[in-house]
Amino acid sequence: MTAPTQPQTQPLFDSAFLRKLDRMALLMRRALPGDVQGERRSPRRGSSVEFSDYRPYTAGDDIRQIDWNLYARMERVFLKMFVAEEELTVHLLVDCTPSMDWGEPNKFLYARRVAGAFGYVALSSLDRVTVSAFGAGRGGVQLPGVRGKAGALPLFSFLQRLSAASPGAPAGSLLDACRRYAHTARNAGPLLLCSDLLDPSWKEALRALTARPFDITLVHVLAPQELRPELDGDFRLIDIEGGAPVEITADLETLRRYEADLREWQAEIESFCSGRGISYIVADTAVPIEDFVLSNLRRRGVVR
Amino acid sequence: MALLAPLALLSVLLVGPLIVAMYLLKLRREERRVSSTFLWRRMVRDVEANAPWQRLRRNWLLLLQLLLMLLLAIALARPFFLTEGIAGRNLIIIVDRSASMGATDAGTTRLEAAKRQARQLVEQLPDGGRATVIAAGGQMEVLAASTTDQRQVNAAIDGIELRPGGGSDLAPALALAAALSSREAESEVAIISDGNVEVPQDLTMPATVRYFPIGERDGNVAISAMALQPSPAGQTLFIQAANYGSAPVTRRMDVYLDGSLFSAYDLSLPGAVPGAAGEKRAGEQAIIVDVPAQVRVAEARLVEDPQGDALPLDDRGWAVGAADERTAVRIVGPGNRFLETALSLLSSLDVTTVPTTTFTFPETAAEVPVTILDGVVPPVLPPGNLLFINPPRSTEYFSVTGQVEFPALRPAPADIGGQASGLLRNVSVSDVSVLRAARITPGAWARVVVEGNGAPMLMAGERDGRRIVVLAFALQNSDLPLQVAFPLLISNIVGYLAPGSGAEASQLQPDQPLVVSVDPTATEVRVTRPDGRVEPVPIQSGQAVYADTSAVGPYIVEQYNGETLIGRRRFAVNLFAPAESNIEPQADLSIPQASGLQQAVTREQVGRQEFWRWLAALALTVLIIEWLVYQRNGIAFLRDRLRRQWGGGRQQGPGAGSLRRS
Repeated sequence: MTAPTQPQTQPLFDSAFLRKLDRMALLMRRALPGDVQGERRSPRRGSSVEFSDYRPYTAGDDIRQIDWNLYARMERVFLKMFVAEEELTVHLLVDCTPSMDWGEPNKFLYARRVAGAFGYVALSSLDRVTVSAFGAGRGGVQLPGVRGKAGALPLFSFLQRLSAASPGAPAGSLLDACRRYAHTARNAGPLLLCSDLLDPSWKEALRALTARPFDITLVHVLAPQELRPELDGDFRLIDIEGGAPVEITADLETLRRYEADLREWQAEIESFCSGRGISYIVADTAVPIEDFVLSNLRRRGVVR
Repeated sequence: MALLAPLALLSVLLVGPLIVAMYLLKLRREERRVSSTFLWRRMVRDVEANAPWQRLRRNWLLLLQLLLMLLLAIALARPFFLTEGIAGRNLIIIVDRSASMGATDAGTTRLEAAKRQARQLVEQLPDGGRATVIAAGGQMEVLAASTTDQRQVNAAIDGIELRPGGGSDLAPALALAAALSSREAESEVAIISDGNVEVPQDLTMPATVRYFPIGERDGNVAISAMALQPSPAGQTLFIQAANYGSAPVTRRMDVYLDGSLFSAYDLSLPGAVPGAAGEKRAGEQAIIVDVPAQVRVAEARLVEDPQGDALPLDDRGWAVGAADERTAVRIVGPGNRFLETALSLLSSLDVTTVPTTTFTFPETAAEVPVTILDGVVPPVLPPGNLLFINPPRSTEYFSVTGQVEFPALRPAPADIGGQASGLLRNVSVSDVSVLRAARITPGAWARVVVEGNGAPMLMAGERDGRRIVVLAFALQNSDLPLQVAFPLLISNIVGYLAPGSGAEASQLQPDQPLVVSVDPTATEVRVTRPDGRVEPVPIQSGQAVYADTSAVGPYIVEQYNGETLIGRRRFAVNLFAPAESNIEPQADLSIPQASGLQQAVTREQVGRQEFWRWLAALALTVLIIEWLVYQRNGIAFLRDRLRRQWGGGRQQGPGAGSLRRS
C-alpha cells in the first residue's frame, strides 16, 4: 500500500491520452493581466482586432491609433483602443509532503498526472506554465516557466523527476508553502493545487493563496484507503509525516464514524472553497486519470 | 453451600493468569502506517468523550473469558447445597397415588409435585446408587426394581397415574420396602404422600424412613353421598355435600337431570371439627328433592369457587335411577308372610311364589336370577342364585347333619361388620333368638357370616358361577322377622344375590368392576363410558365384567342381540370416600423403625443438591455472548445490510457520495 513510486520508470501519460488533451483548452473565469503578448484576453488595452474603448488623444499618443472616422464626424481626435491579448502564467502547485506518497493507486503519482495534464492543456493554448512542488524540502522545487508545445517535454520530465519527501524528513507545512508562493509569484493566473489537504492548517493555506487574484482550482487527491479504510482489529496508526500515533479499535462502528467525519470534512472544504471562488474537485485515485481529466474536470468547467 | 471437589478451584490459579497473559500478548496493537492521522485524530476526539465505556468495551472479551473460566472452575468443583433429601445408596421411593393426591394445591396436582420430588431424590443418588419405585394406592405396583438406570427410574416415575378408587393403604408397599431394605445396607425408604394413608403399626422398618409431605391446604368440598330412589311421587334425589376444610364455606351446587340444569342450591357448609375419636367430622349438608319418575341420571356439580377447591375429583357426583330395572325373584315354599312382606319393601323386585311341589324350572337365570328355597330342596336345583332357608336335606353344596337347639348368634370372627359380603351391613344379629336351626357342614366355597354354637347360621359364597346364601333356621323358628334388622338383612341378601339391582348396586367406587348378568340371547355387551367412548365388554359364564372404571361418572351397559337392544343398565361411579376427600396434609407419619424412631424422618437437610449443570449452562451462555461480542463487526454488518434492505438503500457509501459531488 505504501510502496514508494519510481518516478523514472513510470511515464505520466500515453500518447493517445495526450492527443485527447490536445483538443482541450483551459477555461478562464475572468481576464488576468500577463507579461508578454499572447493569446489570452487581458484587462489591459492592447493590439488585437477586438474593439475595447475610445479615449481622447493626448500628446505623445501614437497617431496610427486615431479613429479618423470619428474625427470626421465629431471633429475631435479620439484614439480607438483594442483589447490586449497577453499570455497567461498557469501555476501548478503539487503537494510533495510524505502523506501524498501513499495509497494504492498512489496519490502522488495521481497528483503529478493531474498537474501534467493540466499543464499540457495550458501549453497547447500557448500559455506559460510554472510548476512548483512544495513540501519536499525547505524551499520546494520549481520549474521556472515553459511556454508553448515545446515546453511539454521539460514539464513532463520535471514532473517525472519529482519525488515526494521521505517520511522522516522535516516536511514544510502546507501553510508555509502557500504563503510563500502567494508572495513570490510574479503574475496571478490560473492556479492548480493538487494536495490531500491532510494538514491541520489547510484553511489558512487556502486563505493565503486567495490573497492574490489567482483563479484557483483545488484538486483534492485522496486514496480509496483513505475514503473507505478497510481495517478490522486493534491498530496503532503511525503517521508518515511524524504526527502522534493514534490507537484505534477498528470495528464497523468506528469505520462508520470515520467515514462520517470524512464526509463532514469534505463538506467543510467545499463550503470554504465556494465562499472564495475556488473550484473544489475531489479526486479518488481509484478513478482512472483519463476519466478524471476528460469528464470530471470538464464537467466542473475547468477545461473545455 | 459446599464443594465436592474444592481442588478444582486451583485451576483458576492456573488458567486465570494464562488468559490474562495471552490477552496482554494479544493486546499489542498491529502497527499500520497511514498517510496521516489527521482524520483519525478527528474521530478519536469524538470517541474520547465517552472514554470509560470505550475502555471497558476494549476489555469486554477479557472480562467474559475470566467469567467463563470462573464459572467452569466452580462447576468443576461441584458445589451443592443441603436440601431435604436422602443420604443412602439404595433408595426405595413410595409414591402415593390415591385420590387425595389429585388435589391441586401444590401448584400442579399433588401427584405431579410428588413426582417432581421423586425425580429430585433420584438425582441426589450417588453414582451407582440404586432406586426402586413403588406406587401405592389401589393395587401396589413396583415400577422400577432396584435399578441403577436413572432414565428407567425417571420413566417409571413419569408413568405414575392417579388411582382414584384404590384407597391409600401403604401396608403392602411398606412390607415390600421393608423386605427390600433389609437385604441391602445403606437403604432408605422415601414416602412421598400427603399423609392421608393407612400405615400398619405392627411393622418395624429396618431402614430409615423419610417422609416428604406434599400439599398445603385442606380446603375441599365434596359431594359425599348421592342417591336416586323411587318414591310415591316419582323419585327422590338425595344429595349430601361435605366440607372437609376447617373454614366454613359457601358453595353453589348445580343439579343436572339427564344432562340439563334442574336447579341450583347455595350451600353453606360449616367447617370440619375434630370428632370424639380424634378423627375429623366434616361439615355436611343434605338436600332432598323430588324429581320426575323418568329421570335416568342425576348429576350434582359443585361450581368452582374463588377460594379454589383443592380436589376437583370429588366435586361431581352422579346417581342413576333404577325405576325401570326390575329383578325377578322366585319363592319356592309353602308361603311365608314375613319374607313376602320384606321383599315387597324392595321396590325393584318382581316376586313370584311357586308351590313346593314344583320340580322343573324352565326359566333361565337371566329371566329369574334369584330363587328362594324356603324350607324345601327340589331334586334339581333351579338355575340362578339361590337362597336356602332352613334346608331340610343336604345338597351338592352343603350337607345337613342335624339340628342345633337355641343357638346364640354372633358374627363370625372373619366376617365382622359383614365386610366380605356386605350381608351384615347395618344389621345386628346378636340379640336374635333362634329356637332351632339346621346343623350344616359348609363346603369350601362358603364363608360363614353368622355362627351359632359352632355351627354356621348364615353363610354365603360362590360356586359354579352362582351365588349361594344359606340361612340355617326357619324364620318362623326365630324372632328375627320381628327385628328391625330383618328387612335390612333381606335387602342385603337380595343385593348380594342379585348384584346390580336396586339403587345401591348402581353406585360404585372407582376401579370397582361393573358386573352385569347377561341374558343368554345377548350376543354383545357394550359399555358407554362417561367420556362418551363405547367399548365392548367380554361375556364370561353369563356375566359381563367391565373393570376400567377409574374415571368417575355415569356408565351405561347395554346388551345387544345382533343390533337389537335387549337390556340397559346404568351405573354411577363416584368418589364417595371421606378418607380421600379429606385432603388435609399431614406433617408427620408415624412409622416405627429399627433405629428406634417412631416417626418417619421429615425435613432433615441431608440431601445434596448439586447445581453444576446450571453453572455449565451459564458458562455456555457466557461463551455464546463472548462469541457474539467477538463477532460484533459481522453482526453489525448483517444488521446494517438488513436495515439497508428495509430502508430501500437510501444510505450510500461515502466514496460514491463524494464522487458524485465532484
